[in-house]
Parts: sequence; structure tokens; C-alpha cells
Amino acid sequence: MKEIRQGLRREPIYFRAKAFFSKPANLILLFFLTVLAALSLAPMVTMLTNMFKVHAGTEKKLLRLKVGSLTLNHFEMLFKDYEWGKANFWIPLFNSLIVACGAGLLGILIGGTVAWFVTRSDLKCKKFISAVFVFPYMMPAWTLALFWTNMFQNSKVGGGVVGMVESVFGICMPEWFVFGLFPMIVVIGLHYSPFAYLLIGGILKNMDATLEESATILKASRFTIIRRVTVPIIMPAVLSTFLLIFSSGFASYTVPVFLGSATRTFTLSTKMRALIQAGYEGQGYIIAFISILLGTLILGVNQYFTGKRKSFTTVTGKSGQVSLVKLKEANWPISVLLIFLTLFFAIMPLVSFALESVIRQPGNYSLSNMTLNFWIGTEASQFETGMPSGILINSTMWSGLARQVGLALAVSMVVGTCGMLIGYACVRRRGSFLSRAVENLAFFPYLMPAMAFGTIYLAVATSGGFKWMYGSFFLLGLVAGVKFLPFASRSGVNSMMQISPEIEEAATIFGVPWVTRMARILFPIQKSAIISGYLLPVINVMREVALFTLLVPYPRYLLTTMLFSFNETGYSQYGSAVTLLIILIIIGINTLVNKLTGASFDKGIGG
Amino acid sequence: MKRFFALMLSLLMVCSFALSASAEDVPDALEAASKMTNEELYTKAKEEIAKGAQLNFYSTTSFAEKAAANFMKAYPELDGKVIYAEIDDGETYTKLTNQIGSGVKDSPDMALVQNGPDLKVNLLEDELSYNYFPEALKDVVPEEYQEPTVVTFINSLMIYNNKEGSVKVSNVWQLIEEPWKGRVFFKDPTNETVNLNFLIMLTSPEWTEKLTKAYEAYYGKAWESKDFASASYEWIDGFLKNVNYTFTSASKIATGIASGAAGNMGVFVFSKLRKVAEEDRPNLTVLQFENDVDCFSGFMYNIYATVCSDTDCPYTCALFINWLLSEEGFAGEKSWNSSQGYYSPNTTIEKPEGLEDESYMYWAGKLVFEDLDYIDGLGADYADIYRFINVRVSK
Repeated sequence: MKEIRQGLRREPIYFRAKAFFSKPANLILLFFLTVLAALSLAPMVTMLTNMFKVHAGTEKKLLRLKVGSLTLNHFEMLFKDYEWGKANFWIPLFNSLIVACGAGLLGILIGGTVAWFVTRSDLKCKKFISAVFVFPYMMPAWTLALFWTNMFQNSKVGGGVVGMVESVFGICMPEWFVFGLFPMIVVIGLHYSPFAYLLIGGILKNMDATLEESATILKASRFTIIRRVTVPIIMPAVLSTFLLIFSSGFASYTVPVFLGSATRTFTLSTKMRALIQAGYEGQGYIIAFISILLGTLILGVNQYFTGKRKSFTTVTGKSGQVSLVKLKEANWPISVLLIFLTLFFAIMPLVSFALESVIRQPGNYSLSNMTLNFWIGTEASQFETGMPSGILINSTMWSGLARQVGLALAVSMVVGTCGMLIGYACVRRRGSFLSRAVENLAFFPYLMPAMAFGTIYLAVATSGGFKWMYGSFFLLGLVAGVKFLPFASRSGVNSMMQISPEIEEAATIFGVPWVTRMARILFPIQKSAIISGYLLPVINVMREVALFTLLVPYPRYLLTTMLFSFNETGYSQYGSAVTLLIILIIIGINTLVNKLTGASFDKGIGG
Repeated sequence: MKRFFALMLSLLMVCSFALSASAEDVPDALEAASKMTNEELYTKAKEEIAKGAQLNFYSTTSFAEKAAANFMKAYPELDGKVIYAEIDDGETYTKLTNQIGSGVKDSPDMALVQNGPDLKVNLLEDELSYNYFPEALKDVVPEEYQEPTVVTFINSLMIYNNKEGSVKVSNVWQLIEEPWKGRVFFKDPTNETVNLNFLIMLTSPEWTEKLTKAYEAYYGKAWESKDFASASYEWIDGFLKNVNYTFTSASKIATGIASGAAGNMGVFVFSKLRKVAEEDRPNLTVLQFENDVDCFSGFMYNIYATVCSDTDCPYTCALFINWLLSEEGFAGEKSWNSSQGYYSPNTTIEKPEGLEDESYMYWAGKLVFEDLDYIDGLGADYADIYRFINVRVSK
């Protein structure tokens, strides 16, 4: 009798376990829970312990304590010393919040508006606008910052160097327009607006049109339809996008460096780097930790709002014919305005970088001041250019380029696939603990400032049994993979949320294996959005600097670290040339993917 | 399984013995190397290279690349075996403290670094790197530059845009006056340690006295304590209030001043004038060449050579340091001495004729020199001075 009872107790657990493990979504979630916990949380623990440790250098010198011993000094300096804390924490924190919020709102406003026009109206030249609008996202954000200063610097601000606007129109913009919080918000907002465009546009494009049509039949006005149908449907994507842009703006390092230095406008990221550079690593880690806490708080708020809605399945087995809003007389003016703006922020920087890469003397664009030596120069022109060979015949540049492209492709393949699997598993097991844990863990690295993330992995890779990783291509791939997984996982989740489970269930009833269901049903339905998940990491790796700067064996190891080094050290012509190359390569990859698969970076939405 | 663990344990022990043995060998090898001739070192270096070593070195100064190229021409059997990598000032010690001893492939064997106090605290004191100085040069390099070994001096000078004539600055106290607000360009000292060290050096008794005298000369009255501990602190406070940080690198300051507004002044690395377009060069005037400035017209800092404790080519490193300190190495084709703003500690090497520059001795009385012992000896005061500078830079 006892044995029978025990057997009965065991059997449900056994069957429950069997049922649990028979679902691919559960296996995927378990696998990623383990891997992501190790790759996200372990570095976090390292960072937490570093907040209480004495580091080599300044801290050791000031505290007269052994490296590695425990101390609360970092907290005391940052939070007890009023003047120090105000300069190194409170003001930078305030600035970071302003920049992050401003950029988030601006990005959504611009990206969302353009996405709506492209997907829901009969706007002219959609293909052109859609293709060109994403250019600023492909460029490193700080190149837009440089472009901004190139355009608007003038004889009355900064160093008094005349920019294009003053040169052509004789207009001198005020200092707040050229340097400080305002241009940071505009540049970061513009940089991430294509991101908002991609995510919101993806939802708008795939949205079931019958919802709007039903509202139209019920005689709801266009405004009511947007307010009561369209906006609620895209709200999760809007909040997600705001969160992503907010975190990026909050963690942005290079843009505040270029646009804030002149007016001493520090953000938490620039302060963190400055403190780490000055040897106050403990305080740098505290700031990094607080940045992460704030990011997590925002994530929680986002979860609260997105968790409120029950279901927004927008792709089902039914047809989703979209009826476009007729812009009528406003069509051409809006189209021309959008074309002008996209051209200005997408094409003008390219023209500017091309020009900057061939001029000897800054600000002088006459033919006599131009040279191709920065591209194809030899040792004979070294005195003028500062380097023994031009970019195109420089073996170091080609090696850096090969590594960067290899890294981008490797990371993209792994991360894109992981993102799609995470998206599938999280959506299928939505509401479960595992699903929430994996989704949050996959997103967690995004909240870590890239600089801090790189520093933490540097510490991990140079300790214990991990030394074999340091300076290796594998480490760069690993760090980039973890850091950029949020892009792919968000893309995966967003795309899978659009697919009704009935479609897969129908196939399951017919005994179609999981792999076939994924490859033949789910993937084709959301192909463009899923391939966006592969493309986003490529673009991120191709333009990343802060993450790699401490992990590369030397600054010219990768193309981007080489590029930043050129700009930092004043080789601006080489910097412009390499920037142009990077953008062209990204466009090339996008075009190639488009030709091979029909998908593209902008195709997720548009035109 | 037991056999496997025993084998692994043995391997581990052998490896750790090998590593510790090599770590102990480096100081001995450097000691022996310091007494050898260059021919003997070359023989030893060839042996190291034959065993598969290569000299990877980090440098904060790009001219070292050319010096390495010239070195390999002079020692052809080392061709392709001296690998240069430029490193930023800010990340130098983070990279080195993490890489040395990590066993990572191609980690640095030696480094040319700035900021002596950090070199001492981060590397030398913890024996992560060792000093090397050749006996043969002891008579021609002043003793204070032998440990740690200085391979070159670099100066940062006050240079201004002269498009509207002279700025007529003859006393440093002028630079803290209202008309200079936003017109003095200087790299953020919290990001550039040599700039920070320059400001810290001003708090030394020697420079405090000089600044106090300059105050009297300029204002016609004795300096009185108001809100600051000394005249130096008052000058630093006023100077940092006027500084414009628009340009993030010395090269950018040089080109920005040259092509920017008339009357702007920068305190930047003199050698960066080479980055300024030929057409803009006449726009720049080195203040010191116009008139003597009471009490300084810039500052001078050192580049040190240090050999990493885990190098597998200490003799090659020694030979390379000998080369950098020699006439051929320092004053070779397109190397340091061919540019303004680099000076050898080897007193037998002089600046060539025709450069708009002066000798190291000329600058000795006119610039603030980085004094490793003063900065290192500040102890707890260092934190107060750093705090004073940091909160002003951040405002």
C-alpha cells in the first residue's frame, strides 16, 4: 500500500517533468537561463565586489591599503563629501536623466511619426525615405556629434572655428545650441529615431488592419482610431523603444564627450570614465551600478505597463490588408519635408566625412586644399599626413577591418539565432517565471553602460582560470554577443508576439516537428523582423567603440577602436575616411542581405 | 582517472615553476644586460628571437613607431620582431596591470609610458615591471633620469593665435583675468594625467614661492590669504575657471587654435605643431619665443621605459632601450629629435639646427617640470589637491 502511494506521488512529478521537457520552449528557456545567468550576473557580482575594494594606483596611493582590501571610502567620498558628490555624481546624474528622457521622447516622436507616415499613409517616395532614414542609426552616434559641431560651430563659441552654417549663411548659433544638453538630446534622439522607426514601424506594418477597419465601420473618426486602436496596439513597442533609447542615452559616452566638454556638461558615463581613468575605480563602479539600478527601475516600469495588456496578437491566419490614410494636399509638402530632413541627417554627414577626409586645413574646402594622401598616400607624404601610408594601402587598417567584419558576422549569427529562440520561447511560455527570467536576463546587459561592461569583462578575463581569453577574438565576440543580445531578443519577442499560437498549434496537430515549424512556418511569417534581429548586432558591432576599447590588445586592433583613436589623437582626416568606410560596409552588408534574403535593415517596415 | 589528475597536477607544477623561474630571471637578465655592450646584447637578442620571442611594446608616443622601424634597420636580424602598439594615457595602467603576468599571447614585453608616479605605484612597486638602465650611459644621463629610465622629455607650451597681433602676456596671473574667460584651451586634467601633474606641481613649495612673487609683480601687492591655502591654489582656481575644454586632444587644440579665433591661447604639446596645416602655421606664436613669462610658459613631462616582469625577451628590450637613449635612435631619420618638443635625457644629444625650438637646458628655467618624488611624496595631500582640481574642472 505504501509503495503504491509512493508510486502515485512520483508519477505526477515524472509526467509533469516529461511534459515540461517535451516542450522545446521550456528546454530553450532552461538553457538560456543557465547561460545568461553565468554571463550577465557573474560580471555583475564582480562589479559589486569591486565597489568595496581598494584598487591599484590612486586608491592604493591615497588609502595606504593593500590592493584588494575592503573599504567604504568610495561611498563616503561620493555621498558624504558634498562638493565632491555634487560635481561627480549629482549634477552628472541630473544631466544624464535629462539627456536620456529628451532623447527617448525625441527619438519616438521622430521615428514613430515617420513610421506611421511610411506604413499607414499614401506618402510619396516611401522607399527612398525608408531606406535613407535608417542611415543615422548605422553611423556611430559620435560621428553625428562631430557633424553637428562641423555644421554649427562658429566664431562666437568654442574654439572660434568657423562651421558650415556660418560659412554659408553667416549665422552664428548660440552656445546652448552648439554645445551642451540640447545638442546631446538632438544627436542621440536622431541617432536612435531609426530604431524607433524600425520597432514601431514593424508593429504598424504587421498590425491586423481589421481592427482599424472595424472601427471605421463603426464610424469612429480617424483621430479616435489612432487614439483608441493604433496607439494602444503600438504602446508596448513605444515603451520598449523608449526604454532602449533611454538606456542608450543614459549610457552614452562618446556624444557627451564631444558635445559636452566645451561647456563642462558631464553625464554619469563621462564622469564614470573620468573617475576610472583618474584611478577612482571604486567610485566608477558605484556610478555604473547606480546606472544599472536606474535602468532596472525603468525596465520594471515598462514591465508593469506592458504586463497590463492581455493580448495584442496582430498576425493571425486572417488577412491583414492595410488601408492607407490619404494625405491629400498635404502629401507633397510632408514628403518634401521628410526627404529634406532625411537627406540632411543621412546624406550630409557622408558628404561631410568625404570632404573632411581629403582636406589639409580644417574649414577650407577649396580644391587647392584637397589631397588624396590620407587615402592613398605613401611614406613621401608622411610629414603632411602623420602616417606612413594612406588608409587604403595600410595593412593595419585592412587587418582591423577584417577582424571587425568577422566579429560582426560571428556575433550576428550567434546572437540573431539566440534572439529568435529566446523570442519564441518567451512568447510561448509568456507569464511563466522562466519566461520572465530569461527575457529580463537577456535584456539585462543592455542596462549596463558599455564602458563598465568592458571593464568588468577585462577584470574577469584577467583573473583566475579565464586568462586564456584576454586579448582574444573570442572574448570580444563573447562580450559583444552578451551586450547586443537585447537587440536580437527584443526583436525576437516583438516579432513572435505578433504570431498567433494557433498557427503553430495547427501544425503540431498535424505532427509537424518543431524544427520544421520554426523553419517553414514561424520564420517565413516574420522573416523581415527576425532578420532585423540578425542585422542589428552586425550594425552595433561595426560601430562599437566603448565596449571594445579596454579589451582589444591595442587600439588599432579593430577598425572602430582605430577610428576613435584617430579622432582622439587629432588624425581627423583618417578618422573621417574610416568612418566613411564603416558606413559603406554596413550599407554593403545591408544590400547583400537584401539581395540574398529579400530582407533588409529597413525592410522590417517599409516602403 | 587518477593517472589523468596526477599528470595534470604535474603539468601544473611544471608550468608554475617555469613561470616563477622566468619571473625571477628578468631582473637578473636586466642586471646582466646593463653591463653588456650593444654587440653582446644583439647576440643575446638574436637567441631570444630564435626561441620564438618577439618584442611587443606599448607606447603613448607615436614617434616610437618610427624609432622601432629604425631599430630594426640597424639590427636586421630582429626585422619584423619589434611590434609597436599605441596606447592612450588614460588606459595605460589598466591595460598593463591586467596584462602583465596574465600569460596572454602577445602581451607587452615593455612599455613607454608617461606619469612617473603612477608607473612607480602601479608597476614598479608591485614588481609588475622592472627598470633597466645601461651602465655605459650613466655618465651622460643625469642620475635622476636613470631610475625610472627617462627616454624622452616632452613639453607643453602656451601658444596663441596671432591673427590680430600679440596677446601681450608676460605674467601667468594675466591668464586668470576676465578677458581670458573661455579663451584658454587645455586638455581636461582629470582625463590627462600629465596635465593634472602640471597643476599638482604648482602646489610644491618651489612653485608656490614663484607664483607668489609673480603675483606681487603683477598686482603690485603681496599675496594675502583669502579663500585659498596659497597663491598656487588661487591661480589654479582662476585658471580652471577660464579654461575652455572644447578640444579633446592636443592635436585638436593645435589645429583649432591655428584655424580658430584670433587671440585664443592653448597649453598643448609643442610637437603637435606638425599636425597644423602649412597655411595655418604662421597664425601661431609660441609665447615664450615672444617674451619671457613670469613665472612659467608651459610644462615638461617625461616618457619612461619599463620592462614587463613576464617578458621572454629581456635582452631585446634592453637593446631597444639602449637604442632609444642613443644618438642613432633618438636623432635618427624622422625620429624624436627631428621634431619640435622632444628632448633626450642623454646630454650629448642636441636639438638640430633649423628647428624653431631650443635645447632642454633652455626650457629648464621656463617650464614646470614633473617631479616624480614630489607627487609621489604627497601622500594623503594628493587626494586634497586632486579633489580641489576635480571639483573645479567639473563645474
